[in-house]
Amino acid sequence: MSAAVSALSAVPVLSVLSALPALPLQFADALFEFLAPSTLGEVIVRGLAEASLYVMIAAGLTLVFGLMGVLNFAHGSLTMLGAYLGGLVLVITVAQSTGGVGRLLAFGAAVVVAFGGLAALGGALEVGLVRPIYDRPPLYQILLTFGVTLVLDELARIVVLFYGLQPTTVWQDVLGTKPAFLADSIGVAGVSASGLELFHVLFGVATVVGVHLFLTRTRYGLFVRAGSEDSEMLSALGVDVNRVFTVVFALGTGIAGAAGVLLAWDPAWGASVPLGAETLLPAFVVVIVGGLGTFRGTVVAALIVGLVDSTMTWWFQNVVSFTGLPEMVVFLVLVITLIVKPQGLYGVSEVGGH
Amino acid sequence: MSADADADAGADAGADGAPLLAVDGIQTYYGDSHVLEGVDLEVREGEVVALMGRNGVGKTTTLRSVLQLTPPREGSIRYRGEELVGRETHEVADRGVGWIPEDRRMFAQLTVEENVRVAVPNADDTAAALELAFETFPDLEERREANAGDLSGGQQQMLAIARGLVGDNDLLLVDEPSEGLAPLVVEAVAEALTAAAADTSMLLVEQNLPLALDVADRFYVLDHGTVVDEGDTDDVSADAERLRRYLSA
Amino acid sequence: MNSGLSAEFTALLPRIETLVVVLFFALFAMSFDFISGYTGYLSFGHAAFYGTGAYLVALAANDKLPLLGPETPFMLLLVLAGVAAAALALAIGSVSFRLSGVYFAMITLGFSQVLYVFVRDWDFVSTAPRDGVAVTEKLEGFQIGVPGVDALNVAIGQLTGDSVEGLLGFITLSPTEVSFYAIGAVVLVCYLAMQRLVHSPFGRTLIAIRENEERARAIGYNTYAYKLRAFVASGFFAGVAGALFVGFRRSVTPENGFYFLVAGDALLVSIIGGFGTLAGPLYGELFDAGVREFLSKEGGGGGLLPYLRANVGDATLATDIYNGLTVAEATDTFLNGHAALYVGLLFVLFVLYVPNGLLGTARDRMGGTLSKAVPRRLRRWFDG
Repeated sequence: MSAAVSALSAVPVLSVLSALPALPLQFADALFEFLAPSTLGEVIVRGLAEASLYVMIAAGLTLVFGLMGVLNFAHGSLTMLGAYLGGLVLVITVAQSTGGVGRLLAFGAAVVVAFGGLAALGGALEVGLVRPIYDRPPLYQILLTFGVTLVLDELARIVVLFYGLQPTTVWQDVLGTKPAFLADSIGVAGVSASGLELFHVLFGVATVVGVHLFLTRTRYGLFVRAGSEDSEMLSALGVDVNRVFTVVFALGTGIAGAAGVLLAWDPAWGASVPLGAETLLPAFVVVIVGGLGTFRGTVVAALIVGLVDSTMTWWFQNVVSFTGLPEMVVFLVLVITLIVKPQGLYGVSEVGGH
Repeated sequence: MSADADADAGADAGADGAPLLAVDGIQTYYGDSHVLEGVDLEVREGEVVALMGRNGVGKTTTLRSVLQLTPPREGSIRYRGEELVGRETHEVADRGVGWIPEDRRMFAQLTVEENVRVAVPNADDTAAALELAFETFPDLEERREANAGDLSGGQQQMLAIARGLVGDNDLLLVDEPSEGLAPLVVEAVAEALTAAAADTSMLLVEQNLPLALDVADRFYVLDHGTVVDEGDTDDVSADAERLRRYLSA
Repeated sequence: MNSGLSAEFTALLPRIETLVVVLFFALFAMSFDFISGYTGYLSFGHAAFYGTGAYLVALAANDKLPLLGPETPFMLLLVLAGVAAAALALAIGSVSFRLSGVYFAMITLGFSQVLYVFVRDWDFVSTAPRDGVAVTEKLEGFQIGVPGVDALNVAIGQLTGDSVEGLLGFITLSPTEVSFYAIGAVVLVCYLAMQRLVHSPFGRTLIAIRENEERARAIGYNTYAYKLRAFVASGFFAGVAGALFVGFRRSVTPENGFYFLVAGDALLVSIIGGFGTLAGPLYGELFDAGVREFLSKEGGGGGLLPYLRANVGDATLATDIYNGLTVAEATDTFLNGHAALYVGLLFVLFVLYVPNGLLGTARDRMGGTLSKAVPRRLRRWFDG
């Protein structure tokens, strides 16, 4: 028995030892390959596509935290509802014979429906549940939204089961509504990227530009930025801060819904109930790394996390045989950022008036 | 002049001889601590009223109570005869009550221009409001695109007053405008306030006694959450001892 | 139990297996409450400590750890699991307590997720790390009792536990019941230890930190050191709870050990039971487990489903409520297996309207801890 035991425990040690001398050489080879223009280009394109997804799932969260100081734990579940709602629109409107353009139009309709539906739900949540507890310690807002997540996830599970789908597996029918050309690879200057990746980048850029214009060019955006600094002063200037809160909460959840639709077309994510928790954690990472409540920080952090993710994915696929590498490194980015720069990249010491 | 103004006010408010602002027996708390124990005061149309007293006697709280930022638990606050207690802060502001708070409360990451824009009640009036603000304070126009947080203390105070001016207000609640400013800047602030007082009534909290007596028509002295003295500033300018015992520590 | 209401009791009362789970999970929730309820710092990554304790026992029993093996006494493993988790808490806490508020919650969450992903994908722990570890190298049950004295030890586990027959002539216990009492004894000892800490000057300082940290610091307390010590103690008991979990269940997965929602469950039962009451999480967990089992899908033993099947006529169950939806289908769709919905709704209501939880509110009403207030009330009642 004891011999067997020592043999067993010796195996990993031995394999590590034998791997050691080979490691630097192998590493240098891999680094060389990684830095080749075509590889690097692909990794960057994939990183930008990931960053676009991250910015989509985090933008609403950061807007809400910046203005109200509420870290919305239900944000991931709202993304998940958006994926189902948008998926429903896609499944209903897209037929086998629908062409590529028709499918894109259907996608546009799905985004509009998911944005509108989730914005309405978000507005109702803010007025009914979040508003009564603004003056309590921040802990209670975390608790409340966490509770909302439990309820929303379970409701989604009930409805999904009722219609004969499996809540924990991806809704395949939605993936089937994707136009064929998004699955194709497009080669530009030796770098090949999938159509879906470029679609993500397009969508992410549009969202960033849209939110940026809203914040800087509209009167409401001015209120949002002023309220993020000092909501009490804003109310004393005659602005109905409660209404601004509701609008921003609705906008934030609307963006989460739109993000859900985008994810529903991505085979790596897809519409399923666990999508809520799966998107919530990266969204937290992005928002915290950027500095809670700063939109610019969120965009930069999404780029960092997206590129780190795609880089690590390449290393895992080619060199390091540890499946969890990309995900683990993403959380390490969070931990290291908080150690080195506790307020995040662009954070200010006091955020939110509460 | 004062009789005329009163007559005008009466006609405006529809309630004969009613003051612009009437604070009546307000009791205000911060959590469990009882800060205002029955404050009564009035501001009539066109008047500048100074609210004086040592630190921590409830001057700022009185202003916050009027704005419903810290609503009183008892008592009434009437503006043009209408009860403000129970209203939202923005509704009070909409009725023409402006606040120039202690520490200025700039939106530090917004530009000077944006700080003014936020204060304009109706977006259509923005151009006129910006013109008014920059005409009154040419210094600010030069720094129009700067972040408000990068302004000097004096410039920030000017910007705070400018926000009060463009807000279409009939009553300004001004809190310690001279605090932390160099003497030369204080003079400029006093000038700006005097100019502003030509168009609006004012309730002014000020520790700087000469400044307060210079700008104000009447005064109230607060101590331990109640009014302990009141009168015309002209009467006490000659008799400074009357106030000094309430104001020095 | 063959009274007129026995069917109702069977449906409502949780099974003994559930109650064992309630015990060790309540200990985990108490350890969470000990740090978060008493200092106000939300330890959202608390699952890391629970998972550490659980994995330590499972790996030791599978002979994967140096110096430890299947023969290592469980009582020693319990302590080692606590120590390992406490060491981890020291490492995580010494970094994390430089932050506060939301940032503290997030950095602890970040640490625990790093560990979760690591354990989930590390093929050292087992051949299929995603499915977790099952105790395979040790066939007999883990023993709780006085170390070194065979007669004073009992084995725990549903299949591997000891049963007791005719002790003192009349006590007969199934293996699960033996596990219940043995694990209950460990949980009780841990609870009493934490309770002593809470009622000591140390505990009062923690509360002072929760109420106003700046003031506590101004008085001269090194609040960082106090928080860190509390975190380490909390980590220790969370590790013990994890060890008990594997001791009884004999397996652990990344999802029920390290995943952040495990801490979420602790948070849930702490709030329902009463945040900052220490004993409250036990009641919260009892309540949560009770509701979940009552509405469980299998309806094995008790629960709503078998009760309805046995006591409500088929005609009623087949009654059409709406558009072809029968009563049976409706319960199946909206109730069975969906306890999370009702617990979640209740949780939201608690946060909004009963922020002190079950025990906290009861204490507020009675004016003191129940052990003191109830006798006082009774005395007054009898005297009056």
